[in-house]
Amino acid sequence: MWGDWGACPPRQIVALREETQRTSGCSLSLSLLSIGDIPEAEWQESTDAHMEDVISAARLWPVWLRLGLQDVRLRFRRSGLGAGWIFLNLAITLLAIGVVYSRLLGRDLGEFLPFLTVGLIVWGYISSSIVEGGNAFIASEGYIKQISLPMYVYVFRFFVSTSLTMLISFLAYPVVALIYGVGFYWGTLWALLGIFLLGTVSFLLTAIFAHLNTRFRDAAHIASLGLQIMFYVTPVIWPPEMLRDRGLPWIIDLNPLYHLLEVIRQPLLYSQPASPLNYQAVGIFIVVLAIIAGTLTRLYRRHLVYFL
Amino acid sequence: MPLICVKDVDVEFKVDAEMTKSLRLAAIQLLKPRRNISRVIHALRSVSLTIQAGERVGIIGPNGAGKSTLLKVLARIYPPQRGEVKVEGHVCPLFEFVTGFEMEATGWDNIRTRALLLGMSAKEIEQKIEEIAQFTDLGEFLDIPVRCYSSGMLLRLAFATSTAVDPEILLLDEVMAAGDAAFIERAQTRMNELMERASIVVFASHSLQMLAKFCGCRGRRKDEVVYGPYPIVRSDFQGGRNLVRNTRVSGKRLDRARV
Repeated sequence: MWGDWGACPPRQIVALREETQRTSGCSLSLSLLSIGDIPEAEWQESTDAHMEDVISAARLWPVWLRLGLQDVRLRFRRSGLGAGWIFLNLAITLLAIGVVYSRLLGRDLGEFLPFLTVGLIVWGYISSSIVEGGNAFIASEGYIKQISLPMYVYVFRFFVSTSLTMLISFLAYPVVALIYGVGFYWGTLWALLGIFLLGTVSFLLTAIFAHLNTRFRDAAHIASLGLQIMFYVTPVIWPPEMLRDRGLPWIIDLNPLYHLLEVIRQPLLYSQPASPLNYQAVGIFIVVLAIIAGTLTRLYRRHLVYFL
Repeated sequence: MPLICVKDVDVEFKVDAEMTKSLRLAAIQLLKPRRNISRVIHALRSVSLTIQAGERVGIIGPNGAGKSTLLKVLARIYPPQRGEVKVEGHVCPLFEFVTGFEMEATGWDNIRTRALLLGMSAKEIEQKIEEIAQFTDLGEFLDIPVRCYSSGMLLRLAFATSTAVDPEILLLDEVMAAGDAAFIERAQTRMNELMERASIVVFASHSLQMLAKFCGCRGRRKDEVVYGPYPIVRSDFQGGRNLVRNTRVSGKRLDRARV
């Protein structure tokens, strides 16, 4: 507290100090600041400081929105196809996996491709939240070490860029759906809730891995390994019923990413809400992620800049 | 009124183990908690200082004395491990220059981004952008990506933008080194203008000439810049020698604390 200032041992501060004197011009004076010079001031040290960080970062939306949009723009700046790469990437992956797996799994292509499209888009979003979003602080080091802004500004920045990329690639879905005659009804609107839940998960994953990767540089490698395994274990390219029929239902049911996929896939493919169990599981998943993110933020808030 | 109050501030950098702790080291520490494997650089120890409105403070010292660290504490970038920092007023930091640019973006884009980061509103930016562009004197270079810029050009861009913000507190770190003579002169004029608006300027440098030029003073007598007992930075201005004393690094001794 500043009030205790007088109690601290006398310490001289001598600085090369030039007081501006408007009338008599400049003069070099060696000024010794005595203890009494320091004014009283209040110090606020709130226990919820980390939540305030998030809120004050959110208020700076013009900053992170610009940074995030710029990231998307710059990613394709010097490429001939530009944002077309997002579609090309998706189209070729769809084609390759679609042709092979529809035959392998004995599925009709017209039924399988829309299913696969949604799965790949959602999966791409989750994995870029972890892989790219995990770099949020490391990639923003130049800004962090120059200008003091709430750290969550950079979490929002990467959330914007990954979400925008996902939304662009989502434009491919109506095309696939039209080609293969997937109907759109009122029930399809449940997908909006799904996308909202997915966005929340993506934001929290970005926050968690941004903190972890800054602290432990190994975290990024572990995460990409984990993602690779999860890709095969999660029903992205194979329909969940198949594994369920063959006696391994728990692999699906215990996987939060499966439930997350369902809350988007069910409305889009069948114009119906996912099962209540799916929504409950996603809800629990979000709560768990939020607790982890909050803990990491509280623990590392004041140390992040030293880890960079 | 703009005001800087720093009281008993300590800043430590944990060199190898802690800065970006690998999981292996984390595991070792968990198993053997007593084994201290981190070397610590005590960059600032018990620094106290007060700077009031209308003051220009020059911080002098050799490389590794803690000048930049102190500035970054004042800019609220490094939260100190101990002590208290109170900064009132809109702070505008001008630190290393190659960072904080979006290399693929054009000069115009970078002006906008930087201005936004420094707290200008979109409206304000549109009002001031012409003036900023003029001050950089970069002309059509502003249309090309900044990765093609020289360091002097990056400096102009950063300086012009940051000083357009109407900062109450301007923190400068040895940045003028990259500017050419003509630019330094214009920068000084602009700095003087800022001063007249009763703001605080803190300028760190290892060069007395540079400092003298900016503070408008001559190094005619022997002064000291002392920030608490650690590290003691003594500057013998007359001899032009800078001495670092007692830059002690706890844990393991290093010759000199470089941060």
